[in-house]
Amino acid sequence: MSTSRQLSESRAIPTKTVLINDTTQLPHDYCTTPGGTLFSTTPGGTRIIYDRKFLLDRRNSPIAQTPPAHLPVIPGVTSLNVLTENQKNEANNHVNNHGGKPTTGDDAQFEMDI
Amino acid sequence: RCGVSDLSSQSFRSHGAPFNSSLLPSAGRSVYSSPAVIIHAGYISVEIPQDDNAQETDCHVDNADGNNNNNNRRKTVCPGAGEHPLQYNYTFWYSRRTPSRPASSLSYEQNIRQIGTVASVEQFWRFYSHLVRPGDLSGHSDFHLFKEGIKPMWEDESNRSGGKWIIRLRKGLASRFWENIILAMLGEQFMVGEEICGAVVSIRFQEDILSIWNRTSNDQTTTSRIRDTLRRVLNLPANTIMEYKTHNDSLRDNSSFRNTKISV
Repeated sequence: MSTSRQLSESRAIPTKTVLINDTTQLPHDYCTTPGGTLFSTTPGGTRIIYDRKFLLDRRNSPIAQTPPAHLPVIPGVTSLNVLTENQKNEANNHVNNHGGKPTTGDDAQFEMDI
Repeated sequence: RCGVSDLSSQSFRSHGAPFNSSLLPSAGRSVYSSPAVIIHAGYISVEIPQDDNAQETDCHVDNADGNNNNNNRRKTVCPGAGEHPLQYNYTFWYSRRTPSRPASSLSYEQNIRQIGTVASVEQFWRFYSHLVRPGDLSGHSDFHLFKEGIKPMWEDESNRSGGKWIIRLRKGLASRFWENIILAMLGEQFMVGEEICGAVVSIRFQEDILSIWNRTSNDQTTTSRIRDTLRRVLNLPANTIMEYKTHNDSLRDNSSFRNTKISV
């Protein structure tokens, strides 16, 4: 029988408490499940849920690039060319960014006066 | 025939993401009392029998699921092979009018036109990528994205008891906010059962307006949840004014955006 025995120390799980004063200080992924929603249950039953990142990632798939059949021609509204995201000088056009950066960074959009 | 069967009774397996099945039923309103599984749809694989002609033929979808998916209409569009299905089909609409001409119900109906209907994420992008961004529309124009079978009109059966949240945007923001609101709607982020009818972006002279329509205006749980989801998915500043207007009120004063109830 072994006589040498090492007792490991017991330690509390290290935690960190962050005081916030306002709900705007909550991290943007607080209470979310990865790829899911803010809710822990799915009210109303099983649903197909996609988060924003997933939807944006499908944009560049080949199926999504071809013009739809029977697209009505409305000048100034519909276009047979794929309209790319970066045509405008809108602030914070994060669709450009989702290639390299994690899109949780997108949610840290600066607040705008609307 | 694309053979998509009753989506709501299938269980979806998720690969990679945690599959959360131990959920407590939520108490309270029966609309929300059935616990279900979160689908981490980034990793969904849904078995849809392959059918090359899926796009253009009637979908073999039974609406007998009791969920009133698609307003009890036969779906006319299906996800294609390998595409990611949406919970509901949606139709894009466009409308425009000269501001000087007052809108009557009949003229409004004649002024809106359908652009196309989508049943999958990829089909959505296909249309969306071939539409001008709302910020680039001229004149008094609107894009509407509504569940298939619901007309973007106050008088539609699905809208009669309903209302909408509106958010006013200064110029320059419409395109980004429109994209975010419709991605949230398509991705089922609002979590209000069948209540969402559709979303609208309205380009006007000095401001633009984002609207989201729901079926039951006096359902406070629903309207509160929609408001809170909007704050989150659009990342609205804390002091953003949000306004709610019932469609009955709009019918009464024949106006979309005046005389709203303010909520901060």
